[in-house]
Amino acid sequence: MYLSQIDREARIQALERENRILQKKLARCESDRQQLEQTNQKKETLLRTVIDELKESKNQLQERTQRLEKAFHDLQALQNKMADLGGLVAGVAHEINNPINFVAGNLQPAQLYLKDLLYLIDVYEQCMPQPHQSIELAIEAIDLEYLREDFPKLLTSMTEGVARIQEISKSLRLFCRMDCDRPQAFDLHQGLDSTVLILKSRLKANEHHPAIAVVKDYGQLPKVECFPGQINQVFMNLLANGIDAVEEAQTQGANLDGSRRSPQLTIRTRWLSDTEQVEIRIADNGVGIPAPIQARIFDQLFTTKPVGQGTGLGLAIAHQIVVQKHNGTLTVLSDSGQGAEFVIRLPIKMQGVS
Amino acid sequence: MLKAVVAHSEDPDSSFAIAAVLQDCLRQLAGQRPQAGILLAAIDFDHGLILQRIHDCFPGIELIGGTTDGEISSVLGFQQDSLVLMVFAATEDIEIRAGIGQGVGADAAIATHQAVTQALAKSQLAPQLCLTFPESLTGSSVAILQGLKQALGPVPIFGGLTADQWRFKQTYQFYQTGVYQDAVPVLLFGGNVVFAHGVASGWHPLGNSSRVTRVDGNVLYAVEGQSALAFYHHYLGPLAPSSEYPLAVFEPDATQCYMRAPSGSNPADGSITFFADIPAGAIVQITTTSHDDILAASKASMEMALANYPGVQPAAALLFSCASRRQILGTRTQEEYRTAQHCFTACFPVALPICGFYANGEIAPVDQVGASHFHNETFVTLLLGSK
Repeated sequence: MYLSQIDREARIQALERENRILQKKLARCESDRQQLEQTNQKKETLLRTVIDELKESKNQLQERTQRLEKAFHDLQALQNKMADLGGLVAGVAHEINNPINFVAGNLQPAQLYLKDLLYLIDVYEQCMPQPHQSIELAIEAIDLEYLREDFPKLLTSMTEGVARIQEISKSLRLFCRMDCDRPQAFDLHQGLDSTVLILKSRLKANEHHPAIAVVKDYGQLPKVECFPGQINQVFMNLLANGIDAVEEAQTQGANLDGSRRSPQLTIRTRWLSDTEQVEIRIADNGVGIPAPIQARIFDQLFTTKPVGQGTGLGLAIAHQIVVQKHNGTLTVLSDSGQGAEFVIRLPIKMQGVS
Repeated sequence: MLKAVVAHSEDPDSSFAIAAVLQDCLRQLAGQRPQAGILLAAIDFDHGLILQRIHDCFPGIELIGGTTDGEISSVLGFQQDSLVLMVFAATEDIEIRAGIGQGVGADAAIATHQAVTQALAKSQLAPQLCLTFPESLTGSSVAILQGLKQALGPVPIFGGLTADQWRFKQTYQFYQTGVYQDAVPVLLFGGNVVFAHGVASGWHPLGNSSRVTRVDGNVLYAVEGQSALAFYHHYLGPLAPSSEYPLAVFEPDATQCYMRAPSGSNPADGSITFFADIPAGAIVQITTTSHDDILAASKASMEMALANYPGVQPAAALLFSCASRRQILGTRTQEEYRTAQHCFTACFPVALPICGFYANGEIAPVDQVGASHFHNETFVTLLLGSK
């Protein structure tokens, strides 16, 4: 069977078209294959590198886990020591309390006895204006006039001293109270006051800074259901950090704005009746916390303090106690160079906490 | 009413290819005169000859287009080394006008203003939608898009950047009978048109996060103090950076990232040029993807467009897919088109004319009402029809 000339030409044209397309596709396949090989080569390298990075991350994670485990064990040992020490301090405070009560109880009769004795001397002097020479010599020897003036002052001073010892003893017993396994209704102001008293030595003026003022702005608070020992520990960590911050600001000298502020801690409390919460704000006018650090200050092992001075656990523990143990919140507000304020919010009633 | 017809030829001979395409268009138009058209062609064709033949066949047609990394149509599916022509015939309530601006690399604001002004000068109706196929290799695509936004106001912009089959040397843009370089052609649709779109990627960040420490617009010099090339070589070995491994860019304080793909590098100063700007101080991560992730994203893009289309039957579907997707998908690139065909066949009673191309970057709003953005590594579906 023969094809016509026109059919043959059409067939040839179609074959030529097919040939052009196939040749182009062949060239394209070769170029695509080379590109795919390069893409795959890059992918292989990428996967190898990412696996290496993952290995490195895993090692870093293991190291961090080990550090955390060590810190946890150290913390447990420290907590045990502190619990023992707390018990000891509470016991000593209790033991001191008994004899000091004797002294306090006897000081008032002693003042009365002194008054009586001085009255007797006055009567003697009126009845015997010219005493025997030996009596005059004795009066001179004991400097009766000075004794009459100083003895009452001495007794007043002893009364004040005893009152202070009683206050310290009470604060120590309060601060070191051992938490039982159930929350208790606690007067947070008592906890704050006893913590401030324990930190009193750090508030005094020294060669590095003037006395640190503590301004208390207490609102009306109901008693809060909590573990008082743990909450006292939070107050202690935050107040101690505040003292560190104002000390650092004093060491650095003038503030950013050129002024020199008097070191000060401010404690504000208020009842948030609409949310059934209390709010405790502990503020300092120290160095402040730069924004990038604020996000990390509650991380375990994060510290900005020099080696040996900070464990990186204080704020992490405070955060854990407030948030996990008491279902509260702990946040920080700070502008670098303008001090910092920690805000604790605690529910008045504890519910569903770990 | 808007009617679209599409024709596609894989014949590498420009003269034969355009003859076949025009013959097919004329057959489908059945005597209707097209108002506008889109030409998408592989880099090796004689584009001047093709454009002239189109204008000889359809005098006065408002035509734009560009070179591609691969072509898509409902006639031949996905092809390389082919040419696709889609033409639009419309009633008087719809107006389609073209414009071109030149010198986008030197001054994108002036070039885009020139293109939009030229198209608007021929328009009676306010533009509802802008299609554009700008140059990808001479400047920052973000600057081009910014210029178009300033010139157009709140008109949604869609399109893809012209490509050259993964050579990254020279791409071409088309306007009427002219073949341009370093230009931005636009096609404005005014009047009673309706449309919906979808956009999705499929890439995800991998590896460590690093901070950009030196960048100038779309030229990245240093990441974490080391040269940008050293950063890429660390992850991808000694080969030159390429567009299928883009960076995920997290702007400062942002949680969402976007992709920036490299378009070239300079071993002399260790810099890498990207298709669009990277902000100073941004956090970057190398990214990767898989075939399945890419195809799942393509489907998501189509489903998003279908879910939002306000009409009953669109006149056409336009697809703009990233050249990197084709590069990774290899022989599975066909599946992107097949997925589209399957989705559209299931949703519409009449077969939908589809055309599209693999681009060096895509332009579309992220959601249905927001401003348009420049993307890399995405699949953009645009459904276009009349009210």
